[in-house]
Amino acid sequence: MTLLDGLWLASALTALAAGLFGRSPSAGPWLTALYGVQFLLVAFMGPLAYGADPVPASPAFSVLGYGLSWQFTALSWFFAVITAGAALAAAWFMSGAWGRHYAEQGGDLRLLQLALALNPSTMYVLLASRDFLSLFVGWELVSWASFVLMLAAGGVGVRWALRYLVYAIGGAMAVMAAMVLSHALTGSFEFGALAAVVPDLSAGTLWSLVILLSGGFGVKMGLLPFHLWQAGAYAETPGPGSAFLGAISSRMGLYAMLLTLFGVLGLGTLKALSIPWTPLEAHELLAWIAAFTIVLPTFTALKQNDARWLLAWHGIGQGGYMLMGVAMGDALASAGGLMHVFNHATYQAALFMAVTAVVYRTGTADLNKLGGLVTRMPLTFLVLLVGIIGLAGLPPMNGFVSKWLIYRALIDDGQPLLFVAAVVGTLGTIVSVYKLLHNIFLGQLRVEHESVREVPGSMLAPMLALSLIVFVTGLAPGLVLDWLTTVQRELGLAVLAPTLGGVERPDGGLDMLWVVGILFAGFGVGALIFLAGGRARTVHQLDNYAGGHFLTAEVRYHYSDNFYAGLMHRIGPWYRGSFQWLQDSVVAATDLLAQAAAGVYRVVQPAAWLLGVTVLALWWVAA
Amino acid sequence: MTLPPLEIVLYTGAVSLLIIGLAGLVMGDNLVRLVLALAVAEAGVNLLLVLSGFRQGAFAPILLEGRVPGPMVDPIPQALVLTAIVIGVGVQALALALVLRVRRAYGTVEMRTLRARLHEDLDAAAGLPPETSRNAPAVERPA
Amino acid sequence: MNFVVLAVALPLLAGFLTPALGRSSRALAQWLGWGTLAVCIGVLWVAWARLDGGTVAIAIGGFRPPLGIVFYLDAVALLFGLAVPLMALLLWPREGTPQQFALTLVLTASATGLALSGDIFNLYVFYELTAAASFGLIAGRGTGAAQGAALRYLLLSAAGSVLLLAGITIVYLRTGTLNLAHLATLAPERLQDPVGLAAFALMLIGLGVKGELFPVNGWVPEVYGSVSGRLAGLLAGLVSKLAVLVVVRILVLIFPQPEAAQLMLVLGMLGIVAGELAAWRARDLRRQFAFSSIGQLGIVFVAFSVPGEAGIVAGLAVALHHLLVKPALFLLAERWGGSIEGLRGAGRGHWLASGLFILFALSLVGLPPLPGFWAKLLTVMGLMGLGTGLAWLGALTVMAATVVEAAYLFRTLSVLLAREAGYTSPGPHRGLDLVTASLAGLVLVGSVFALHPLGDGLKAMAAQAADVQGYIRTVLGDRAVARRGQREDRISEAHPASRGSDRPMGRADRAYGWPAGSPTRGARS
Repeated sequence: MTLLDGLWLASALTALAAGLFGRSPSAGPWLTALYGVQFLLVAFMGPLAYGADPVPASPAFSVLGYGLSWQFTALSWFFAVITAGAALAAAWFMSGAWGRHYAEQGGDLRLLQLALALNPSTMYVLLASRDFLSLFVGWELVSWASFVLMLAAGGVGVRWALRYLVYAIGGAMAVMAAMVLSHALTGSFEFGALAAVVPDLSAGTLWSLVILLSGGFGVKMGLLPFHLWQAGAYAETPGPGSAFLGAISSRMGLYAMLLTLFGVLGLGTLKALSIPWTPLEAHELLAWIAAFTIVLPTFTALKQNDARWLLAWHGIGQGGYMLMGVAMGDALASAGGLMHVFNHATYQAALFMAVTAVVYRTGTADLNKLGGLVTRMPLTFLVLLVGIIGLAGLPPMNGFVSKWLIYRALIDDGQPLLFVAAVVGTLGTIVSVYKLLHNIFLGQLRVEHESVREVPGSMLAPMLALSLIVFVTGLAPGLVLDWLTTVQRELGLAVLAPTLGGVERPDGGLDMLWVVGILFAGFGVGALIFLAGGRARTVHQLDNYAGGHFLTAEVRYHYSDNFYAGLMHRIGPWYRGSFQWLQDSVVAATDLLAQAAAGVYRVVQPAAWLLGVTVLALWWVAA
Repeated sequence: MTLPPLEIVLYTGAVSLLIIGLAGLVMGDNLVRLVLALAVAEAGVNLLLVLSGFRQGAFAPILLEGRVPGPMVDPIPQALVLTAIVIGVGVQALALALVLRVRRAYGTVEMRTLRARLHEDLDAAAGLPPETSRNAPAVERPA
Repeated sequence: MNFVVLAVALPLLAGFLTPALGRSSRALAQWLGWGTLAVCIGVLWVAWARLDGGTVAIAIGGFRPPLGIVFYLDAVALLFGLAVPLMALLLWPREGTPQQFALTLVLTASATGLALSGDIFNLYVFYELTAAASFGLIAGRGTGAAQGAALRYLLLSAAGSVLLLAGITIVYLRTGTLNLAHLATLAPERLQDPVGLAAFALMLIGLGVKGELFPVNGWVPEVYGSVSGRLAGLLAGLVSKLAVLVVVRILVLIFPQPEAAQLMLVLGMLGIVAGELAAWRARDLRRQFAFSSIGQLGIVFVAFSVPGEAGIVAGLAVALHHLLVKPALFLLAERWGGSIEGLRGAGRGHWLASGLFILFALSLVGLPPLPGFWAKLLTVMGLMGLGTGLAWLGALTVMAATVVEAAYLFRTLSVLLAREAGYTSPGPHRGLDLVTASLAGLVLVGSVFALHPLGDGLKAMAAQAADVQGYIRTVLGDRAVARRGQREDRISEAHPASRGSDRPMGRADRAYGWPAGSPTRGARS
């Protein structure tokens, strides 16, 4: 039995246990322990990230003469460690008070536990796939597992889950088409067989493969124009579920793209594939799609009034950075893109948990109905603060490192327009996460939240642990970058030579140890001045004024609705809802077609169709 | 291929019967007429089948004293047509019986009404409101 | 192997006895029916075991083919033949009258005949008998809707039969034979032209009425909407597949030209689109399944339109999967009648039924490793392997249909399992319905664990069914070929004109000594 078998077994056992005992909130810690076992098993495979031989799985099947086999490589491991960590954190978060609360509110805790357990187990199958058939099997399993998790909430969530399902099945069918096309070309489902014939393929065939694969996997990533399902589906999932989904679920699309587009077709092929009548090549097309995916969803996030929706929309936008980095494909950019997967998972899970913690205490995620909670939930505030600094890509958190690598590579590669898109996206992120922080934690506390307390330890612990990772990997990004060199080597990309603090380059590298050191030295100077000044006075939250008026407890003054009125005045007209319109049009057109189809079966004389089709068929035969 | 004039007439007649029958089946509304149209179409195709064995100037396919008297008509289509006619008669009888049953159930022998009533029934059984008619106002007219 | 004829003769006989017997004792009639079906299953099972992967032709009444009427037994024929009494037993009209027992038995006999027959005219007779039995069964429910639907179905089906007979006439005119094997030897020279194709088109449309081919399937929603779930399952699951099987036999043996397959592909594609979209709009469960079965049959037609073994493997997989799943779904729909919106929360508390529904829905949509996925994969592989634009379009249609299917099946499921109360359930599913559906579910899940042997078996079966030469050899035989020389000598004594003709001879030709089925009338006289 290999470690991979053990991991599969452990995750299956977790799912089984969740299904059997998940109903009882007291099973939470035990389940968390099982997730811990999964995490440990993944950790034991750690040498993979430093160049050890792949870990195979013992089961292998042969169906219809095609073999299916599985193994873990450095790429698999990198995604698996994030998956296991996110699952552990999510399970931990719901293991105590939250789970009890959820069950008391009438939620189906068993279903939620089971759905959560199914997700990592299916992902481990997907991550180990080593041929098109096993990839597709894993892909479908993962798609359906997320569907179950989205369904767990019931209510509005069901509608979003169904919408997700349509998109996901559509994407899966594109993947299936690519897989069958590959089979038609090579007679086998092996990656190697396709890789061997790639040099002989015509541009048209290659384009079909690239479009089908990136489209199919792009649906899961929420790439434009297939992004409309994701925010709602993730946001309406119960808290820990959305933390897990937001952290890693849609990254499976990136994994599959890396495996097929980069691992099988190869970056060289993408670079050689130019779009007729344009200066663009296939990988630049991907980068441009990524650029739009960064900018549009980020600015959509800016308009959200629900904290969960805001974060979910950012999740889509941040996926764009990952794809952009990977698509540019040089050592810096691909390391940045891959590292962003890790970084995003850590801060996004922390952020979703922080917001869920707020919902747990206040019962709402509506940004217009919160405020001033910093005094009541200081640790949650800290977690959210660390998280949004990471999300916005500012030092000293890890999000800065990955984004810096991507910016730097875009400048090096001479892609000023993509660079601008990336920066504009970051700008939008900063603006909108400030809104998140401000509307929840700053300003005045509402009367109904006077009695709110900090959340219990079972919820705080995973949040704080994740925040710590966000900070530590920001301080010493070399820890993660080291793994990525192995991944880059596996995918045949240029390999980065990282240091503990970042990268060293003759024309200016990045050393986070210095950056963080200077930053904290600055803080220290500030603190010294503050302490030296001495005269500080603690006032009540309501002890302030606006426009010359003193505010009393009766007059609430927390500016949250229509937060960026001035900005919206400028950019408001740009929000056109074009993609929503596009989606609605497609649905309407399908409905029209369906009406026509149903009309066929309401005809007075069915024999008329018989005569008609006979005449047509005979006419066609004669022609 | 060239056919003798007699066969051309016969074939044309058979195919015409078939077409007339099918057209009647599509264009008719009265259920009894539809069954009759079906009978006409079946007659047409039976005729076609029997013609496939026809040869001008040939004998009936009966052995005389164990000897073949000369060119004979192909007997197989005749056997087939007999079967087809029997089947056809059976189906038509069943159809007429069903027409009677339908008339008893819905009080109509018209296809258009039958379809409307049938779909009303199906929708009602499915708990759906009836199709809104294009001929009747959706709500009561104001007095 | 001649005992196989019993599988057709016995239910027919029992079918005629049942009404008389039922007059004195309904229970006795029922037991007679069950016993007969059990014997049929036994007979076919023994035949399956004895055949052991080979093929056998049985001449009925001792006349040798191509003169006599033959049954052709190969794995595909026996598999579908075995499915007939098995499903008739599982979907037996328990609450029915002795007349319905009789009709079910007649349906069994004729459907088995459809699966086994190796003669085109016999197929026609069995087809008509199947049709007549199903009209009776549909109308037998006694409601006005059922009778109206039966009448409308009858008119459409009879019109289809007229076309089928017209097609058969053309084939006979061209070749002078109706034996499938003999036709297979003659087809390459006699039916490779527009007239031959026209014959195929007529037969396709004629048989398509029962096979739910677009657009001659107007009867489907009306009939399935007005009959019991058991009968709908029997018609949708079994009878439609047998009609398709006949089409496939004709296509493989007689019409190898690509245009024939293209016609089937186009109509199948339109059927997928129309069926799935109409199902998407359907507002009650039963008609949703009816439309979905139109779509699934469309996929079956599309899959079989791929020439050669690949198409037959795919088609068999899709057909068998649907054969298993759709009747079970109809059984589940029995208690979940009425509009779908009215079923809010109806599945909660009935976890076995809901679980089965989820399983079947997942398999229909094609979640690996459930069998539905492999069927769909084989279909798409077959189509894309062809590489023509039309085949690509077909593959695209199948895949797009999957999306629509997922949308409506899971929308329905989300309603069934919604957490709201307020649904007044008409009670749980009848135990027998649930047991039957569970059986289908078990087979479905069990086949996941036997994918490898199943796949190999299916491939072998398809290779056998696609082997035209094998079919000819089995029916006409090497010995028959050897004896052909003698017979031709004997015939030539009576008609010296035919000496030297080395063309194969038609059934009538052989008997009466005409030169082999002359293409022109003039040459005969």
